[in-house]
Amino acid sequence: MLLEARWKGDRAVWLIIVLIIVLGFAFIPLSQLLFGLRFTYTVRVVALGGSILGAISGVVGCFAVLRQESLLGDALSHAALPGVALAFLFFGRELSLLLIGAGIASWIGMRFVMALLKSTRIKQDTALGIVLAAWFAAGIALLAYIQSMPDASQAGLDEFIFGQAAAMIEADVILISGVSLFLLLMLALFWKEFKLVTFDPEFASANGLRVGAVNTLLSTLIVIAIVLGLQLAGVILMVGMLVAPGIAARQWTHKLDQMLILAAVFGAFAGGVGAVISALDNDIPTGPMIIVVAFTLVLASIALAPGRGLVWSRLRQRSNRRRFAAQNVLRDLFRYAQAHGGFESAVPDAFIRGVAERSAQLGLRQLQAEGQVETVAGGWRLTAAGVARAQRRRRNEGLWDLYRLYGDELGLPVVQESRHAELSELLPRSALAALESKLKGDGDA
Amino acid sequence: MMPLERALIDFLLHFAAREELNAFLRSPQNTATLIGCLIAISGALLGTFLLLRGMALTSDAISHTVLLGIVVAFLLMTKVFNLAGDTSSPWLILGASLAGVGTVLLTEMLYRSGLVKQDAALGLAFPFFFAIAVILVSRYADDAHLDEDAVLVGEIGLAWANANSHCFDHCESVTVSPDHPAAKNTRQCLNCRELGISPRDERAVFTETCSNCGQYSPAKAWSAGLLEREPLLVFFPKSITVTLIMTLLSLAFVLLFYKELKLATFDSALASALGFRPAVMNYALMTLVSLVAVGAFDAVGSILVIAFFIIPPAAAYLLTDRLSLMLILSPIIGAAGAYFGYDLARGLLLGLLPLSEGIRLVNRLLGLSLTEEWNTSISASMALMIFFMFLLAWVFSPRYGLISTMIRRANRRRLFEDQVVLAHIHNHQHTARHKTELREESLHRHFRWTRRKMGRVLMRLRATGYVKLVARCAELTERGDRHVHAFRRSMLEAYNIPDIEQGSPLAAGTSSESMTETA
Repeated sequence: MLLEARWKGDRAVWLIIVLIIVLGFAFIPLSQLLFGLRFTYTVRVVALGGSILGAISGVVGCFAVLRQESLLGDALSHAALPGVALAFLFFGRELSLLLIGAGIASWIGMRFVMALLKSTRIKQDTALGIVLAAWFAAGIALLAYIQSMPDASQAGLDEFIFGQAAAMIEADVILISGVSLFLLLMLALFWKEFKLVTFDPEFASANGLRVGAVNTLLSTLIVIAIVLGLQLAGVILMVGMLVAPGIAARQWTHKLDQMLILAAVFGAFAGGVGAVISALDNDIPTGPMIIVVAFTLVLASIALAPGRGLVWSRLRQRSNRRRFAAQNVLRDLFRYAQAHGGFESAVPDAFIRGVAERSAQLGLRQLQAEGQVETVAGGWRLTAAGVARAQRRRRNEGLWDLYRLYGDELGLPVVQESRHAELSELLPRSALAALESKLKGDGDA
Repeated sequence: MMPLERALIDFLLHFAAREELNAFLRSPQNTATLIGCLIAISGALLGTFLLLRGMALTSDAISHTVLLGIVVAFLLMTKVFNLAGDTSSPWLILGASLAGVGTVLLTEMLYRSGLVKQDAALGLAFPFFFAIAVILVSRYADDAHLDEDAVLVGEIGLAWANANSHCFDHCESVTVSPDHPAAKNTRQCLNCRELGISPRDERAVFTETCSNCGQYSPAKAWSAGLLEREPLLVFFPKSITVTLIMTLLSLAFVLLFYKELKLATFDSALASALGFRPAVMNYALMTLVSLVAVGAFDAVGSILVIAFFIIPPAAAYLLTDRLSLMLILSPIIGAAGAYFGYDLARGLLLGLLPLSEGIRLVNRLLGLSLTEEWNTSISASMALMIFFMFLLAWVFSPRYGLISTMIRRANRRRLFEDQVVLAHIHNHQHTARHKTELREESLHRHFRWTRRKMGRVLMRLRATGYVKLVARCAELTERGDRHVHAFRRSMLEAYNIPDIEQGSPLAAGTSSESMTETA
């Protein structure tokens, strides 16, 4: 049973993975049909680059989400901007050098946050806000300076602010793939360490793991992923691309490995689809489009994820409420009938409603649908099935009460179910007999 | 808005002549600095409470979502109601700040559902709203007042140009109708081309259009040459009015509700027990933050405004422990940053160091050819100068600064070294082994110190007159002896230990060996 439940839980995850992949591929002919998009060389490059970037930032971002460091990602991506500008000033427009500059700037930002936290009483959110604002301001000031320079080669640095998919070329995709492979390799190598540090840093350090070093490595990987995604998503919105796939994936599963795979798939979908849509129209910046797609995935996940999705929990609440109301009404009817002479006479409508107004309505409707009550003149009456059920419930309740009272004394096995389960089905026959004798004894007394 | 500006100008005219006022407001530097200072003051006042309540990044959140409010309201105004696009219209400000507060509530709901952690809710929702806003801007807004650059950095340098004109004398508003002498009427043939006839043909139908008809305000009428006498005008930049109102609102809020805010910030449970409703204070604060963010949007854009909210209070937080002092210091820091920011944008650091010298140096050292004239975004430079103020506070703060912490640590270490050595000497002098324990050359070994360090400590102790050398052995002077006893008594009192060995040499339990281990 346990295995089956596990398979059932896992099946939902694999299903959604396959579904998203299929949807992603279906998007290609769909967009050809609907928008008349032609998959030219550029669009193919952009789509491929977008999906790879989305996948890798989704995977790395999972750790940021789990460590509750989403806002660190926000600050670090803003902090990359001055690095891009300085690298351009000193080395010209060479993508890999620009990215290295971005990485260094955002890494310095990270160290600055740590230094502030260590040496002052300023709290983390304030420190992040300071770095975010100051580094971003420096970047904007440098960009404005670059724009004031006479030679025209500076065109295109703006794309680092909001992202520009159309600027991607094949060499960029190769660079992205290479770095992504490196990141995946690092994740695989330090899988155990990262997992431990993420979920239980105290335990990790008690076991002699160098938590500080592992943390720094993990943050560095996050910085690399951020820097890689800058060209596509831009510094302001990179954080969305980092954390959205992870948050969406988190809704579907409780296992880290599954979460990473799901995040990769979600990220690839968002990155690819967003990049292609924005490549259609020069007026749509890429970063915002990717974020909109990713956020839609998150909303869908929050609503629909099995077990904890909002839709399911609403439905569950409703059915619980209805069941509970039906139980109460059944009990009230039964007791009233017992006290007022037999199940044949009608229970006045006003009595039932008076006891529990709204929930009485709900319960009566439910019971009527199940054929356990019927309307008669002036009120309600239990049917034979209703009487039988009410009696069964009453016996079950009595048994449960006795079990709670004497379970220890009689040495009965422990039952984990809730009170609403049928106790007679959960206990072995001998134990049941012992309880029933108590029930009779109680009844006699 | 107009009557308010009018009253303000009337007030200002008591102090300055009209020409002086116009000259002052027409200068980009004065207007930009004034607006920057006003934003810095209101931001710093509210930011202080945000920082103390641990909500600093909420200002980040609000400034992002407010953008969506502004963009939607702007598009509604221009595309649906066909009004003139104006980001300082009161309706737009109100709508956009409601959007800000609303989205803060929305994220709270999101993480209260338990599915998403708070940081993730912030890190997700705000990029999303911002993303939608940017898509709308780049796709639909073709107005000069709202483009991607304005979203990022604002237009504080051009704020002087976006002004309302107020007329004080010789005010004649002119209505040019088609029969006005200055009207430029043109006759146009409606059906000439269609029928292929000349305008002189009888069948031609004409319409008269007037190219310059309409209502002329005094300022426009004067510049169109419709008036004989120049009207006395004052041009008042709209952004100053908006930011001034925001500043006054924030100031009034902080002054009026100082007690309530203080209580709600430091002990929200007590505040609600006393019936002060901290939640109401919280939402009032959020509303004001949204209002200031919207008001500042024109000038500094929607991202840099968080520098004005977060950094000055953080700097003040490093300088003082008192809320009242913090509320005074942080606006000053912010305003100083904004003031020097304008100079920085024009290439002068703190009004002293020209940046072009630095660029020239870099060019020479690295063989580059960068433009030597540093001319950049004003709002970004203001944020940078505010950050510079923060760095100054961090380094030089008398209580929490890097330097003072370093000095304090050094003092403490020195004090500890002195006490350890004094205790060692006290324990071993006048004992049989004092010749081996207290010899000057070998003393450092008992502490596992270097010889130089020992020499330094001994020199200090001898200079203060606690220790003297007798036959190359260290020995306490009378003053040193008194000092050791006073120190011992104070320690015993501090830890509440009964003094069992009154008057005897230092207790055996605090031997120098055990003390060096703690070092």
